[in-house]
Amino acid sequence: MQSRNFRLQRVGDINWLEKNYKFQKISFSLDELIVVDATRGTKDIEKFSAVVSRLVGEVFIPVAAGGGIRKIEDAELLFNSGADKVILNSPLYTNPTLATEIINRYGSQSLVASVDYKVIAGTPVVFINDGAEPLSISMADYLLYLEQLGVGEIVFNSVDKDGTGFGYDIENIEKYAKSVNMPFIIMGGAGNERHLKEGLSIDGVSAVATANLFNFIGNGLPNARNYMLEHGSNLARWE
Amino acid sequence: MKLVIVDYGMGNVKSVMSAVRYLGYDDVSLSNEQSVLKQADKLILPGVGNYARAMSRINELDLTKTLRELVLQDKKPILGVCLGMQLMGESSTEGGFNKGLGLIDGVVEAFTVKELKVPHVGYNQVKPCPESRLYSNIHPEPDYYFTHSFRMLSDANIGKTTCLYGEEFVASFEVDNIAGVQFHPELSQTNGLHLIKNFIELF
Repeated sequence: MQSRNFRLQRVGDINWLEKNYKFQKISFSLDELIVVDATRGTKDIEKFSAVVSRLVGEVFIPVAAGGGIRKIEDAELLFNSGADKVILNSPLYTNPTLATEIINRYGSQSLVASVDYKVIAGTPVVFINDGAEPLSISMADYLLYLEQLGVGEIVFNSVDKDGTGFGYDIENIEKYAKSVNMPFIIMGGAGNERHLKEGLSIDGVSAVATANLFNFIGNGLPNARNYMLEHGSNLARWE
Repeated sequence: MKLVIVDYGMGNVKSVMSAVRYLGYDDVSLSNEQSVLKQADKLILPGVGNYARAMSRINELDLTKTLRELVLQDKKPILGVCLGMQLMGESSTEGGFNKGLGLIDGVVEAFTVKELKVPHVGYNQVKPCPESRLYSNIHPEPDYYFTHSFRMLSDANIGKTTCLYGEEFVASFEVDNIAGVQFHPELSQTNGLHLIKNFIELF
């Protein structure tokens, strides 16, 4: 799926991905993998789990999976399918008990909080339900709420920058990355290796994420990783 | 080469199994039956979760004595991973004081340094001990993926490789046929695959 400002364009399913991108090879340029079911409306967690299971078979990095987790059994299914962490978004707000249950059973490091936001009149507004529903709580208060809830890490995702390839939302990242005492991963906007390097150099940012297909074409990812290492990014060196 | 992953019902063994298979060792199985463990050429003791719960599972399955005999008397090579590595020590204070398998001289306690984010999660570099077999031909100070709240300390001569997270702790140990790693080699890319291969081939 190629997404732009959360409007999706279908590019292919897992078979397409395997055929065109040799996912296992791509994974050797990554530190972690995030797999999200971005289907609008009702999501089929069993179908998604089967995809995760197939995808992680020969991927030897931590895998976070989410999208459509509504009860503890959904999370359990994903863990049993090979996910090392699960990602929650809407239920963090609508059903925090689910987050607590996951934390109690699998530990806080196993829960990733996905935070989608759009900038409206100069202020970042948190959105849930696939970017459709705004929350009235301020970004600062929401991040604090997530920290108190006990989630293990934050994925900070700019809907405005999503899929544009214009670079990360530096202004808001600089403002919020240091506000929580847990890994802070930024997402939305990376179009090239300079964007990735620039994002990772921001104080408080632990990791940079990209879903933009253009970063996956050809040797895009290995080249980006080399570029970042050469320019002083603190990344693990693989053999 | 017959590899058996000790199954006591805790943790994600799927990625350990696929890592071993990926390296070309197809004869890998998951078992807690004494006869199967005895026939193994090498054992892997995985685990994620709570120490107290893990030891009670192992004791329910009557595996403590079996594992001690296989490892200490028969000298069967074993690799402990994450909680599995900790279980190989003398004891842990996670979930109250509990005795471990006692295969290696080390004790497990919670991180004590304040101002640290616990659990310790993510990639971190380790300093391999000189003449290590586990890290043979792996580049110096490699990164591995950690996720844990308790860590092992030891003053004994157990072929320690250390990691620094506020304080130095045991990232791995290797003595004769016994090896253990606090991190997850199965989630540590090529560095981890190479280490698993070293265990299979050099122990």
